Amino acid sequence: MGPDAAARAQYLNVVMAEIDAEVRRRRASGDLPVALERDLDELFLEFSPVGLHGKARLRETLALVDGSAYVDMAVPVESQKAIGSYVKRLIKAGLGWYIGFIVHQIVKFAWSVSRMFHAVVDHVEDLETAVATLQIPELPDSAVPHPDPGPSWWSDEAVSALVGVEGRVLHGDCGNGALLDALIARGVDAYGVDPSETTIEAAVERGLDVRSESVLDHLEVVAPEALAGMVLAGAIQWLHPNQRHRLVTLVASRLAPDGVVVVHSATPESWTAGSSPLISDLAPGRPLHAETWAHLLADHGFRKTGLTYGGDDRRIGRVASTSPEAPAINAAIDVVNSLLLGPGEFLLVAVRDR
Amino acid sequence: MPAEAARHSGGPRARQGHRTGTARVGPGRGGEEVKLVFVTPRYGTEVIGGAETAARMLAERLCLRPGWEVEVMTSCARDHLTWENTEAPGTSVLNGVTVRRFPTASRRLLDYFELDAKLRVSPTTASLAESRRWVALNGPMCPDLVDAVAATDADIVACYPYLFATTVDSIAVSRVPTVLHPAAHDEAALYLPAFRQSFRDVDGFVFHTQAERELMEYAFGIGARPQIVLGLGVNEPAGAGRNGGDILGVGDRPYLCYLGRVDEHKGCRMLAEYFARFKERHPGDLALAFVGPISDKAPEHPDIVATGTVSEADKWDILAGARVMVTPSAYESFSLVVLEAWTLGVPVLVNASCAATMEHCRRSGGGLWFDSYRSFEVTVGRLISDRDLRVALGDAGRQYTARYYRWPSIIERYTQFLGGVVDRGHRTSIRNRRLPLAVGGPEYVRKR
Repeated sequence: MGPDAAARAQYLNVVMAEIDAEVRRRRASGDLPVALERDLDELFLEFSPVGLHGKARLRETLALVDGSAYVDMAVPVESQKAIGSYVKRLIKAGLGWYIGFIVHQIVKFAWSVSRMFHAVVDHVEDLETAVATLQIPELPDSAVPHPDPGPSWWSDEAVSALVGVEGRVLHGDCGNGALLDALIARGVDAYGVDPSETTIEAAVERGLDVRSESVLDHLEVVAPEALAGMVLAGAIQWLHPNQRHRLVTLVASRLAPDGVVVVHSATPESWTAGSSPLISDLAPGRPLHAETWAHLLADHGFRKTGLTYGGDDRRIGRVASTSPEAPAINAAIDVVNSLLLGPGEFLLVAVRDR
Repeated sequence: MPAEAARHSGGPRARQGHRTGTARVGPGRGGEEVKLVFVTPRYGTEVIGGAETAARMLAERLCLRPGWEVEVMTSCARDHLTWENTEAPGTSVLNGVTVRRFPTASRRLLDYFELDAKLRVSPTTASLAESRRWVALNGPMCPDLVDAVAATDADIVACYPYLFATTVDSIAVSRVPTVLHPAAHDEAALYLPAFRQSFRDVDGFVFHTQAERELMEYAFGIGARPQIVLGLGVNEPAGAGRNGGDILGVGDRPYLCYLGRVDEHKGCRMLAEYFARFKERHPGDLALAFVGPISDKAPEHPDIVATGTVSEADKWDILAGARVMVTPSAYESFSLVVLEAWTLGVPVLVNASCAATMEHCRRSGGGLWFDSYRSFEVTVGRLISDRDLRVALGDAGRQYTARYYRWPSIIERYTQFLGGVVDRGHRTSIRNRRLPLAVGGPEYVRKR
């Protein structure tokens, strides 16, 4: 979202907040009879799509149930013909006791069902409130690093791993689509997702199949074994452990047998030393070692076929051996390098076994 | 190899040398002529319907593009409730587009309404056979059209929209790459198993909005399929510069405007009742204009005007003079009228439960929304009294429309997408059978 769009969204939010506040104030004032307001609200609900999509509005659907739980026995008896009205009144009088008996039981049942639904909705809302406190906070957009849009050190290797796969290849957190361009140029049927609508704009304008969503959300709506390859990068480095577990499960499910997964990540060493304080402190998770990714994937039926380290290497160079202190200094440097520093990034390639 | 990935390449006219999976080399770009067939249940300038109009708009613009041959296959019906054959079968040309019409095998049967009432309660639990019968009864059943799709020499078939038998049958028999413009919204029919089965054989999806894509992905797990959120282009305003109030007969009174078919299911009754209540509580000179063909009885109120069908010039002039354009419908998959209003800098008020119009408003900042009578009352009051707000919203909407919904870029993106689908070739997963022919029995007769 560009600055103009952000400003417009902010303005819209302010206006709608003012309107919501005024709506609440008027509701509280009671200037509209309750029954009338309910009828008007039911009119809105009558023509609203509720209950089908996953994000059904429970209270609104329940209001519809409540509204239809009463069966009106006051049958209209007006008629354009005098005899018609007479006949209708006769039928009403003659069958009133019978219909009334039936209706009484139907209404009783409907109200019981409605009460049960109220209890269920109360419980669900309590649960939602409780779950909300356990939700993993999202990393603020301002903290998310945006990678260099140009080719990366690992692009060629990722492309080589995926050339020749039969089917679609997904690039999660594809940014501006630079890797997608490289994949497509080599004949790979690649598409991408990225949570940032602004970042993907250039890719969309180039005609690439790129959507604005997170890789985790996207994999939820992909059919089993529908993908031939996947590139996982970006946010997968700092997923919460629960989310990472879900991701690996989805990757295993959505990739076809012989499907290739390519994982690009910072190393834990470079994360500690090189990332911004914001992302270091606020990210729900931390990058894993390449060996750990390989282990997780192996648990889900993958076999590692390649591992390359690259990126900024923050290891300290050894001093020349001409100095008499060199052995001691180099020994200390080796210790520091092995404990705290190392290659900046890695690229892991794995294949799903049949 | 993925279970879904097996494919054969293209139709009878499939060209050589295109790279699998690339979206860079598309039809018309290599110099060869490409033939696209649209399949739509109804077609024509008189047909009122968002999806049908959208198909016609795309077809008419695409046929002007060098290297593209466009044909439409449709029924002889104009009325989607009866499917009565009112147009002559055969081939004709409409605004540059070749139109082939095929007779419907039957008018709509009364059985449809009985089955519809049954399945709508719980569409996901309907059996496949029941739901296929529902699609057949919903019609239009055009066996000759389906035969023509099966035999077409086109490079690609585009079906529009998802709900009808012509679409489901065409997807089932097509031997060339097939894309679907679902024009879907969150309704019971979408969840019938027949559609899930049908969509397996689609090679690409074209959506009107992000909300439609999310709905379809959620309902059918089609995330990995080639797809594009395209939308439609907006025409340049074609008003005659007259005062809209004069056309409506309300003079210089301020007015809200509804544009489209006046139909209870479009939220018109709700809008009329809300407006009447608003006027009761806030007397003044504000009027409401319903502009468009009247399907249901027009609401009666001294401050409500219902014009019926108007000319294009009248429509634009009325819209230009409106304080606010109101779209009360909860069931829109795109809503072109919202963008038309923004082209003129007119702010909009939409139904908060409509994902498509809400998406337009949120992305553009060009409109507000209501989710109850209370919020309708407060929002209308604010919009009418606050000129600066109207200007800010209208400007934001105008920028949004100019950026995303101009025809040249829409057609460019569409052809590029179709090129990618043709290049990938047609999938050869399990093929569906054609729908059971629904003929015989009492027919639905429209009340005059």
